Amino acid sequence: MLRRNLLRYQSGFLDGQLGRAATGIGAMQDGFMTSMRGMLLLLLISAGSSALAETMKLEDAAGILGTSCAKDIDASCRGVNLDSIRLKDCLARNEDTMSPQCKADYPRAFNAIQKRVAARAAVRKICDRDLAKICGATQKEDGAALKCILAATRGVTIACNKAIAEAGYR
Amino acid sequence: MRSAENSGRAIGLLLLLLMVLIGPLAQAQPQAQPAATGQNWVDQLSGLQSPPDIDVAALRQEAAARIKTKADAVPLKRPPIAAQLLELPRLVIDIQFDEDTPIVRPDSYGTLGRIADTLSDPSLAGYKFLIVGHTRAGGRRDFNLALSQRRADAVRDILVTTFKISPKRLQAIGLGEEQLLDTAHPNAATNQRIQIATIATAP
Repeated sequence: MLRRNLLRYQSGFLDGQLGRAATGIGAMQDGFMTSMRGMLLLLLISAGSSALAETMKLEDAAGILGTSCAKDIDASCRGVNLDSIRLKDCLARNEDTMSPQCKADYPRAFNAIQKRVAARAAVRKICDRDLAKICGATQKEDGAALKCILAATRGVTIACNKAIAEAGYR
Repeated sequence: MRSAENSGRAIGLLLLLLMVLIGPLAQAQPQAQPAATGQNWVDQLSGLQSPPDIDVAALRQEAAARIKTKADAVPLKRPPIAAQLLELPRLVIDIQFDEDTPIVRPDSYGTLGRIADTLSDPSLAGYKFLIVGHTRAGGRRDFNLALSQRRADAVRDILVTTFKISPKRLQAIGLGEEQLLDTAHPNAATNQRIQIATIATAP
C-alpha cells in the first residue's frame, strides 16, 4: 500500500504535478516536519529525475517488433525489410489477420524507435546554448560537442540535462 | 502525545524514503547485464589508431576482377582480399537473412537496433564505419559477391532510414566468399556474418 502510494507520488512528479504531490505527502505542521518534508521533496525529485523518462533502447524497441510480429511478418510481409515506413504500412494493411500480440506491439515498437531517434536529435537543439556557453561556439562538430556537454559537470541547464537523459546518453 | 505521533510519522517517512531510493535500484539490477554487453560493442569499435587507407570502390572492383579471372579458385587457399580490414577495430555480428535475399529475419531486428545503439553512443560519435557482407563458400562466386553486397547495403539502409544514423558515417561492401571469416571451414555458417569496422576517426 505504502509502495503504491509512493509510486503515485513519483509519477506525480514525473508529470510535473509538484503541487498535488506535496499536499498529498501529508498535513504536517511543525518546523521539524516541514524541513523533513523539504528534504523528502528534494530527494524524491532527484530520485524521480534519475528515472526521468529515458526513451527505450533501439535494441529493445526493435526486439519487441521482431519477437511479437515474427510470424505475422513471415505470413504477410515477407520480402519487406525492417523499415519504419514500408514495414509499418504492410503491417497496418494486414491488421485483420494479425495476432493480437503483434497488433498491440507493432505500433508501440515503431513509436519507441521514433521517440529514441527524436530524443537524440533534440539534444543538439535543446543544448544549443549550453554548447556555446560551456564548450565554446567553435565546437560545431557533432561528436566533439556531444562529448564536451556530457563531460561538463556544472552549468548545464535543466532542459539540456533532461534532453540528454531522454536520449539515453547517461 | 503529539510529538510521539510526529516521530512515528517521521519514521514512516524515512521508511518511505528508503523505499523510494532502493526501489529503482532493485529494479535496475536485472537491466545491468545488457547495458554491460552493449558497452562491450562500443569498446570493440573504439581505439582506431590511424585511419586506414581503404578505397571501397577499388576493393569492390578487385573482388569482381578476381572472380572474373577465376583466380584463387580453391576456397581453402584463397588469401583475404582486404587484409587491412583485419587490423581494424571491428565487430563480427550474426544477422539472419531470408535465404538468398537481403531481407533481415525478424529475430535479428533486436541485433540491428543494438548496432544502432552502439553507433550512436557518444564515445563513437563522429566515427565512420564500413559494413562488410560475407557469405560462405559454395554455389557461384559472383552470386555470393552480389548477395553479400546487397546484404551489406540492406543493413546500411536500415541503420540510415529506420534508426537515423547519418549516411555520411556508413559505407557498405560485399566481399562474398573472397574473405572468409573462418578460413579453415569455408562452408561453415559463421562465414555468413556481417562485420562492422571503424574506418575513420572523428574529424
